[in-house]
Amino acid sequence: MKLDRDWVARKVFFVAAMMTVLGILLIIALVTKEAIPAIRKVGPVNLFFSTDWNPAGGHYGMLVFAVGTVLSTIGALIVGVPLAVGIALFVTEVAPKKAAALVTRGVELLAGIPSIVMGWLGFTLLVPWIAKLSHTGGAGLLAAAIVLAIMIMPTVCAISIDALDTVPDGYKQSSIGLGATRWQTIRHVTMPAAKGGILVGVILGMGRAMGETMAVALVIGPASVFPSSLTTPTHTLTTKILTEMGEASGIQRSALFAMALLLLVIMVALVMVIRKFAPAKVKA
Amino acid sequence: MNGKDAALPAIHTVESRKAARANAHRADRTATGVIWGVAMLGLAVLTMIIFAILWNGLTTALTPGFVFGSPKAMGATGGGIWPNVVSSFYLALLTLVIVLPIGVAAAIYMSEFAKEGRITRAVRFGADTLSSVPSIVFGIFGMLLFVIRFGFGYSMLAGALTLSLLNLPVVMRNAEQSINQVPNTYREASLGLGAGRWYTMRKVILPVATPGITTGAILTIGRILGESAAVIYTIGIFSKFIPVSPLDPGSPMAANIWHWYTEGALVKNWAKIAGGEAALLLLIVLAFNLLARLIAYLYKRRTRGAGRFV
Repeated sequence: MKLDRDWVARKVFFVAAMMTVLGILLIIALVTKEAIPAIRKVGPVNLFFSTDWNPAGGHYGMLVFAVGTVLSTIGALIVGVPLAVGIALFVTEVAPKKAAALVTRGVELLAGIPSIVMGWLGFTLLVPWIAKLSHTGGAGLLAAAIVLAIMIMPTVCAISIDALDTVPDGYKQSSIGLGATRWQTIRHVTMPAAKGGILVGVILGMGRAMGETMAVALVIGPASVFPSSLTTPTHTLTTKILTEMGEASGIQRSALFAMALLLLVIMVALVMVIRKFAPAKVKA
Repeated sequence: MNGKDAALPAIHTVESRKAARANAHRADRTATGVIWGVAMLGLAVLTMIIFAILWNGLTTALTPGFVFGSPKAMGATGGGIWPNVVSSFYLALLTLVIVLPIGVAAAIYMSEFAKEGRITRAVRFGADTLSSVPSIVFGIFGMLLFVIRFGFGYSMLAGALTLSLLNLPVVMRNAEQSINQVPNTYREASLGLGAGRWYTMRKVILPVATPGITTGAILTIGRILGESAAVIYTIGIFSKFIPVSPLDPGSPMAANIWHWYTEGALVKNWAKIAGGEAALLLLIVLAFNLLARLIAYLYKRRTRGAGRFV
């Protein structure tokens, strides 16, 4: 019997495609399995809502780190999103062709800088600056937010550019033709039409900020308590996992996996939100 | 932003109409200025970042004794990062060997074989979710599965498998885009002449999609070289030895910078080593990004006679 090559190819390629599904299921399954002892022993309430992290004394509350993740992400969005959308507007609506190309390349270049290198720069340049200006140690949520803002900017910007580009030219031309200025057109026509796509970019940026590890680890402190100000050390979920996984065992290790599980749940939720609300064209 | 705001008031007199128009133009000029300002600020930040990293580390990074030298014993000054450089490229190569065939095969399935439906939706959801997983979570997952369960230990292979999973969605998406850009008439012509799907794929579609896939692969190398969080708990952060077997531990440059940050006190000039390593890493990653761009540009020029490099 002659082997049906198309049939074989089809099966082989199918297996390859299922690797993504298999991979994500395996990650969720293994991380969950490792997290269960902590959830059982410590109890979900104490684990997720206590601020007391003291493995030596048997306390495994992760709220401080979760709050650190949320605050640094919000800070990153506050700084990064206006910057990203502004640059996207520059590229699509305002700039002459050459300037637009230059800025686009610049943003792509920025996206390529490794996070450990950004962290190193934050550690050697940004933290000392903040220290000098604030008369504190300098490391903390402010430095984390600034570094994260720069790191999520290319993502938010690229997707905003796509979203703005998909707004039909006819919309803008009609607006300009009616005598509206460019800014009136941007505000009342282009931006509302691109809103959904830009929102997708912001959510993706949010996911990146929450998951970023190395760049934050070098500028956040660290410390396992609520920071008294934006320039005092604290931790995020990712930096806590990074710094303690090496020496952790038993319940402490399991609690670190519970943090990873929390991150996974948030990320899956964000992906679902994007799939639900994204306009089909800008789906990432 | 409400729909009926002051920019478009009810206008009755010539004077008020003129005033509104002047206002609108002033707002337009201000907004244009702000948008230009933001864009220039972005460029300034980028320039400053690259300049600052190179300023701190370039002289170290370009010293042959640093790049090609071995690390010294604890407490001594000096020492090079050759084992780290080798680890980085070893990791990139090994990862690419694993992820590229799987990613391209998955892309072929999605674009040429699958009908839109439950399976394609599941694969896309899997890919989207996978690409949203933080790299540190990939790292500790790789530690659980490859380092511990499979018994590979801290090794190049464990790291490469972890990074393959991490990069699979991007490689797949890129390959799918490259394949989708092949005009449908090519497929129809080949299938119409009686060729099978697999033959069409091999002889018609893949050759046309290759430049796009190559560009994506080079960008993936850049990402692998820069990855650290997923590497720290799968390969290691410090090793004096050059990895040979895939089961050898290693210490890629990106992860090694973390080592100097946490254990800096072990040698006197740790900051100089880490700074030099950061500068070298940045140069290499930027070089790969430019290379990808160059290939895309050359190919475009060859096929369409046009295209812009910058």
